[in-house]
Amino acid sequence: MTLVIDNLKKKFDKHVAVDGISLTVEKGTMFGLLGANGAGKTTSFRMILGLLDPTEGTVTWNGERLSYKRTKLIGYLPEERGLFPKLTVKEQLIYLMKLKGMNKIDIIKEMRFWLDRFQVPEYENKKIEELSKGNQQKIQFMAAVLHKPELLILDEPFSGLDPVNSDMLKKAVLDLQQTGTTIVFSSHQMRNVEELCEDLIMLKQGKAVLQGNLREIKRSYGMKSIRIRADYELDFLRSVDGVLNLDISKDDAAIKVENEQVAETIFQAIAEKGFVRKFEVEEPSLHDIFIDKAGGEADE
Amino acid sequence: MNNFWTTVAHTAGRRIKSKAFVWSTLTMVLLIILLTNLPSIIDKFSGDEGDNPAVAVVDMTESVGGIAEMLASTAEGMFHYESYPDNQLDAALEAARKDEYDYVLALSGDIENLQAAFYGSGTDFTVSMDVNHDVQRVKEALVTNELGFNEEELAVIYSPISFNELPLSENGEVQTEETYFQAYWMVYALVFIIYMVVLTFGSMIATEVATEKSSRVMELIVSSINPVTQMFGKIIGIGLAGMINLLAIAGAAIIGSYISGEEFIKNIFSEMVDISLIVYALLLIILGYFVYGGVAAMLGALVSRAEEVNQAIQPLVFLAVIALFISVVGLNTPDTIFIQVLSYVPFFTPQLLFLRIGMGTVPTWEMIVIFAILIVSAILINLVAARIYKGGVLMYGKFSFKDGIKQAFALTKKEN
Repeated sequence: MTLVIDNLKKKFDKHVAVDGISLTVEKGTMFGLLGANGAGKTTSFRMILGLLDPTEGTVTWNGERLSYKRTKLIGYLPEERGLFPKLTVKEQLIYLMKLKGMNKIDIIKEMRFWLDRFQVPEYENKKIEELSKGNQQKIQFMAAVLHKPELLILDEPFSGLDPVNSDMLKKAVLDLQQTGTTIVFSSHQMRNVEELCEDLIMLKQGKAVLQGNLREIKRSYGMKSIRIRADYELDFLRSVDGVLNLDISKDDAAIKVENEQVAETIFQAIAEKGFVRKFEVEEPSLHDIFIDKAGGEADE
Repeated sequence: MNNFWTTVAHTAGRRIKSKAFVWSTLTMVLLIILLTNLPSIIDKFSGDEGDNPAVAVVDMTESVGGIAEMLASTAEGMFHYESYPDNQLDAALEAARKDEYDYVLALSGDIENLQAAFYGSGTDFTVSMDVNHDVQRVKEALVTNELGFNEEELAVIYSPISFNELPLSENGEVQTEETYFQAYWMVYALVFIIYMVVLTFGSMIATEVATEKSSRVMELIVSSINPVTQMFGKIIGIGLAGMINLLAIAGAAIIGSYISGEEFIKNIFSEMVDISLIVYALLLIILGYFVYGGVAAMLGALVSRAEEVNQAIQPLVFLAVIALFISVVGLNTPDTIFIQVLSYVPFFTPQLLFLRIGMGTVPTWEMIVIFAILIVSAILINLVAARIYKGGVLMYGKFSFKDGIKQAFALTKKEN
């Protein structure tokens, strides 16, 4: 059971929202879809779900097109959260899950299981509008997973959550992956992606600017960051060729350089100057890569 | 199909269970029972139950002896005539002002030129017509009496002629007064029902769609169910809830009329109602509901917030109001070209075709053509609405009719 996206394209009038992305997500893996606002993430998700018809290209799950006949195989957490404000947690989960083909008894059983897990069993008969945003999000998450989907699509699942709830949700997502659920998710918070994903794709203006295994991407990524602590001014390093960014704080300096070669040049330069307390070359964080690749003029 | 019924049940169930629905239906039911019983309730509260109004007759005529007495002796009739001492008009008026009489009738002139002055509160022209009629009858009796006709001769004079109306065309029908009024009231009622159905249920559909959009639950729903299926589920669901509402009101009207025991209202429900007219009415209400409902759902999908619904459905409301006006005007002139032509326009057909069926005669071929146009356009309108709906539910932003439709079409476009 694999999700295969082949040369997916979506044009709205003259604007190209998604421009020929291709990817494969293996069963039981977690896949990250990154990109700045307006990069085409939500449009891609909507095409995977069949909410929008692609202008070109195909999306298949297990070799077949995803259509409304197979809706129970998919769970979806939209970026724009929304439930029926006037209905109770129970009422709306019954309606939403019936649409996924579940019967009432199973729905109530699963709902109680998840409410317990999220430590909010008392919300069963509360109206959504009475819940806090974070708790609404838990219910929203339940609406995506109660029917045990094979493919789970999470659009910004962790945004707006406090650290405790964020961890709780993260754990739930990991557990689902353990039981074989295939998960595709998007996030602005790079730390979450680094923690959860094996593979990722990064979009910029609808195009893939980076794609592949997270560890390999980081290892092979040219850009490095260096941390230096020395007893003298480091400002002069700005003029070294290949230095992308120099960020001096109270006790150390973070320098982004084009590649390892530049790091060596810098090492020599400061060694000549005097004693160095700390010199460390780090792999770039996903955050840095994101800003490097997806940032810039495309950022809204 | 399963999801379709889930949506129907959800939509109808939510509506029927809502407090607003229960209370408004109950209020309507009570109000209608009350209204149908209004005459007897008023009678209960006004003291002089069943008494005929008393009319003081003042005879000031020359040589027309006994006219006041003859009026007073007419036993059957709606008034209790009482002969007042001759020529004392002022006294009679005074007495009437003191509520001893309800009306005063003063007769003057002679038999060839009888003049009657009727004094009343000024708001009862039907009463004066009835009194006029009574006086005329008494005068005729006096004159024929004077001329010395015997009873047989009198019977000949007064025997009614038999008057038959026949259609000019073969197989044609002729409306009797009874069928005319039956049709008149039914058309009137239906035109209003359609207007109500369109306005209330149309805006219900649009509001429901817009509410789901503004709470953003829509995206979640349409990830599970085809938006088109969902749209029809909603239209049917709200239609069902509306049916229940209408049935409750109709039931209340029937119960109310039986409690009241009023002949007139009973007649409307038993003898006067033509089954075929009811069938046409239901058919046209349902088709009209789909025509207007499809557009309402589409308009609801084009707005992002529930507050914008009123603005969005304005064009639809205008259509309904125009249709209402035309049909009220057309009630008296159902056969004009104007009405005939407009009855082909789908948004006007439900009201105007029913008006033509009820008030006049519509050739079978025309009926088939108009119904075909209505059905085809209901389907077409819903197909277009479904397309716009599908794109519209994912669209957010400021409401603009033209841009919205354009954008919705762009969203659902497959090839570019």
